[in-house]
Amino acid sequence: MTETFATDAKLLADKHVEFIQNLDKKQDGLEYWMTEHLRVSGIYWGLVALFLLRRPHALDHEQIISYVLSCQNADGGFGGHTNHDSHLLYTMSSVQILAMLNALDQVDGLRVTKYVLSLQTKSPMTTVCGDKWGEHDTRFAFIALAILSFFNTQDQLDVNGVVEYVRGAMNYDGGFGSKPGGESHAAQVYTSVAALALAGRLDIIDRDRLSSWLAERQLPCGGLNGRPQKLEDVCYAWWVGSALDILQRRHWIQASKLANFVLSAQDEKGGIADRPGDVADVYHTCFGIAGLALVRYPGLEEVDPVYCMPRSVVERLGLDKWQSNVPESWSQ
Amino acid sequence: MRIEDSEQVEEAVPLAQQAEWQDITPIEQDEGEGSMCPIAYTDEYRELMGYLRAVMAVGEVSERALALTARVIEENPGHYTVWVYRKRLVEELESDIAKELDWVSEISSKFPKNYQLWHHRESLVTRLWAPSNAQGVTEDQRVTNPVLRRELQFLGAAIDEDSKNFHAWSYRQWLVSTYALWTQELVFVDTMINQDVRNNSAWNQRYFAILANRDPSAVHLEADMAKSEIEYVVEHIKLAPNNDSPWSYVTGLLLRHAPSMLYTDLLPRIKQLAADNAYQAAMTLTPFYWSALLDIYEQQAADHPDTKKQLVEESRAICDQLASETDIIHCRYWNFRKTSLDTC
Repeated sequence: MTETFATDAKLLADKHVEFIQNLDKKQDGLEYWMTEHLRVSGIYWGLVALFLLRRPHALDHEQIISYVLSCQNADGGFGGHTNHDSHLLYTMSSVQILAMLNALDQVDGLRVTKYVLSLQTKSPMTTVCGDKWGEHDTRFAFIALAILSFFNTQDQLDVNGVVEYVRGAMNYDGGFGSKPGGESHAAQVYTSVAALALAGRLDIIDRDRLSSWLAERQLPCGGLNGRPQKLEDVCYAWWVGSALDILQRRHWIQASKLANFVLSAQDEKGGIADRPGDVADVYHTCFGIAGLALVRYPGLEEVDPVYCMPRSVVERLGLDKWQSNVPESWSQ
Repeated sequence: MRIEDSEQVEEAVPLAQQAEWQDITPIEQDEGEGSMCPIAYTDEYRELMGYLRAVMAVGEVSERALALTARVIEENPGHYTVWVYRKRLVEELESDIAKELDWVSEISSKFPKNYQLWHHRESLVTRLWAPSNAQGVTEDQRVTNPVLRRELQFLGAAIDEDSKNFHAWSYRQWLVSTYALWTQELVFVDTMINQDVRNNSAWNQRYFAILANRDPSAVHLEADMAKSEIEYVVEHIKLAPNNDSPWSYVTGLLLRHAPSMLYTDLLPRIKQLAADNAYQAAMTLTPFYWSALLDIYEQQAADHPDTKKQLVEESRAICDQLASETDIIHCRYWNFRKTSLDTC
């Protein structure tokens, strides 16, 4: 089914490119050094947006690669910035950046694998932690599987254990929380569904109930929220949209209304905010554009719903094989 | 906000000018060659970080290092590296844990969504009162234990501040689970639901409290319990019929743990409510009522195939109404629901 998009507003592609290019020039801003600990993720968000906007060279690739490599630590993991402790989140962003820039060969996959495996735990249950602190979360279950897939070392992880952890986080409403017992939240739904896609266990999902919960995120204004009774936010265009895409129910969201909402949250000077009238930031710029790409808004590259990277990159790396894990009955 | 007066005066003075710090040479941030992300700090933060790197590099264990981590964290708690160091300092200096918890509580009001704060709390609490020690006493005694009482108070305040704070509810689940505080939790949940019947986090917590760590697939709700939950839900639907959470809670609960009661008990109660003059208009207008009927009929038809034909017909009409009138934004979903009725 192809969408037709009402032309209430345009995607300000050039402005967004400028916005992203100017990010590292705002060094006198408080926000700049307050977000130092996640700098690598900031770059990932900017790069995804640029790639999807078909302007992949708007940032200097060599500089980025050299910076990302400088974030790798002795334990094989990557920190959010140079000399920051390793964390799965920033290891993921680093690997994704290198993948998009065709520089994965500059990193030793076995070293990174070793780091990820070191974060496996059996207490309080079999799962993967975010860092040596011991926080566990369905996000980390997904990230562990995703990182290892880049290096084809997924089978070194206790995949069954991880699947059981994710299953434990499945709630009475069909959604998934951050950990068993945790309230269903769209971002956790995305990571749980993506994890199960990578593990080949999408069958454990209550597809109808979860799809209905996801569709329910769309509010009359067209925007999506992350859980019942919360405000709409541009980033859910990705978290909800990607999960629905994997479930093959993308069309349950009214794309045109969603697109209008996302576009109305654009800053005319560049960048996208969480909702109309607020200040733009690179995170919402990334996920707003990725959300639009999911619903095939014109002028954008196709995005892979599991990896949140351009489909062309995922295919080049042979990572689109998760698609064969989608139950056949779902495609009917 | 916090420290002794004498230290407060010194706070404004750069570390480089403080006698206490003369022996340390700060380490500047190494941005790497041709870094694309040269950082600009405020001068104060830059200085703090320089000294912090220096003491971390030599693994210094001291009160001044502890105070330094506090200052850095108070500026930027997202810098998770600092937390590892602080945890170690607190342990090796054998700091007063109760005081440490007080300090964490102060920071939390400024940064309620910072994960490290909550995790630091977790490690402090388990040190103060090991869960294994808590097993030998009753729940009443556990709840009144100063350590847990403080935590419950703190959580109450945090949730008051932001009733849907994911981190707070998650930490609460950890606390209740670890120290088996199930009975008081049901009371707390009830209070929160009554404060705001639309708080989805509270309803999720209700399910958590009722399940009490049992494996969901092994739990069958007793009739009495199910009936009382149905009553509870109906009472709260009356307060705001067009509210997702109670509907989602009761259908989810029964589907998992007492499916036949969906149509033997829930169905008559909600139909009764819909027929009640006081609620009729609101019930007719809310998609959640009609959606619940669809779920109920689906279960009923599956259990009693002889009723299937009539229930499918009714369900079709409901889907049409939802798609065209009551819940137009989700029309694609309702149309799917309708077509899937044909394949039941």
